Amino acid sequence: MLSGGLQNVCGSFLVDFKDSLYQNFIEDDRYMYLVSGLGTTLVITLFAVLIGIVLGFLVAIVRSTYDKTGKLKVLSKICGCYLTIIRGTPAVVQLLIMYYIVFVNFDSKITVAIIAFGINSGAYVAEIVRSGIMSIDKGQMEAGRSLGFGYAQTMWYIIIPQAFKNVLPALANEFIVLLKETSICGYIGLMDLTRGGDIIRSRTYEAFLPLFAVALIYLLLVMILTKLVSILERRLRTSER
Amino acid sequence: MSVNGEILFEIDNLCKAFGDMLVLDHISTQIRKGEVVVIVGPSGSGKSTFLRSLNLLEEPTDGTISFEGMNITDPSVNINTYRQKIGMVFQHFNLFPHKTILENMTLAPIKLLKLSKAEAEAEAMELLKRVGLEEKAHAYPAQLSGGQKQRIAIVRSLCMHPDVILFDEPTSALDPEMVGEVLSVMSDLARDGMTMVIVTHEMNFAREVGTRVMFVDEGQIKEENTPKEFFDAPKNPRLQEFLSKIL
Repeated sequence: MLSGGLQNVCGSFLVDFKDSLYQNFIEDDRYMYLVSGLGTTLVITLFAVLIGIVLGFLVAIVRSTYDKTGKLKVLSKICGCYLTIIRGTPAVVQLLIMYYIVFVNFDSKITVAIIAFGINSGAYVAEIVRSGIMSIDKGQMEAGRSLGFGYAQTMWYIIIPQAFKNVLPALANEFIVLLKETSICGYIGLMDLTRGGDIIRSRTYEAFLPLFAVALIYLLLVMILTKLVSILERRLRTSER
Repeated sequence: MSVNGEILFEIDNLCKAFGDMLVLDHISTQIRKGEVVVIVGPSGSGKSTFLRSLNLLEEPTDGTISFEGMNITDPSVNINTYRQKIGMVFQHFNLFPHKTILENMTLAPIKLLKLSKAEAEAEAMELLKRVGLEEKAHAYPAQLSGGQKQRIAIVRSLCMHPDVILFDEPTSALDPEMVGEVLSVMSDLARDGMTMVIVTHEMNFAREVGTRVMFVDEGQIKEENTPKEFFDAPKNPRLQEFLSKIL
């Protein structure tokens, strides 16, 4: 009698869970909110990372050149302002400013988001890369210059590759933060992964499954990213064996 | 060996100041093709600064340096093309740790002299054989001993076919048992007629391999002479004191 009751409870829970799964993800093809949201999240992250890397390296090179040689003073000050402003204001506010003020007549929301997150990430990447460049022994620059390489060539062939290797873990961390930070792009009406889950919640009046599904997907993405970076790190470390 | 070769370096009233401190005080001298000039002196005397001025790793605050007839201290001169002809070997080797030995040696010839990879590698292997390190071609610097690293640093500079090589205390960072292997490579180079300017504390090397020894103290060349005269009959009282302390 007692065990039968337990069975009933378990049974009805399973039935409820199946219903719930069906309602949240299968009915009306609601899983598509997550799939297309995931696509948006990945596209924004990928391109923002690219912009962030390019911007970050440029800013880091300008600032470390100024630190080491005293050249590029004006450019370095401009870069300094950029870092102060971007790192001193919330990403959501930057995104809203980009959407409602800077690109007010621009209709591709996703492009606006990519630019906003790229510019945001660039500031953090710049400081990470600059610390990497400054950590390379000055003998490396001298060795490169004494062979006849110019400053830029020595940076490119000798300093940057070593700096990149040293800061890879910190860079990976920045991109993991960026991936999760894109979850604020619902603020400008973009349907990313987070917003996709939230839309399901508002349709089914059920928070548990859609939100946990979203969280799980982010978690998996970060774990995959972490794994990829550790493989890359191991490959770059061959010279230290 | 002829020391009457053409003039490579013509140094005229070279000065270098760090703030108020005058490290090089109106140095004038010449360095000719085929010479092995050994610079000695107490620490802080400015001998390393003088050496590093010759390829403008230290920028002089006054005076001129001519290399092969060209005033390289002129700001309009592109120093990079001249540095290709002036090799340099550092105290701490400064090999590129992210590149293999072969890549360390071929990077500059490929990028700057526009050699093909095959040409550059063939030449590098030839040089590696000469210093007995051909089996290390694909190793990374971290896998080498100090003496091996410095031998690689020397042949790396040779890959650019320099007209002169500057050595900045090449054996000072080495364990004692590795000093010999590096000095012997340097002796071989001297015998082959390479022009060398060497800052070192190895007095026996200075005496045996040098064609001229220079005593730098307080930013000036206090005495320069043939090794025999320099060590056996020093005239400057500071040099006499210096030699009495170290010999």
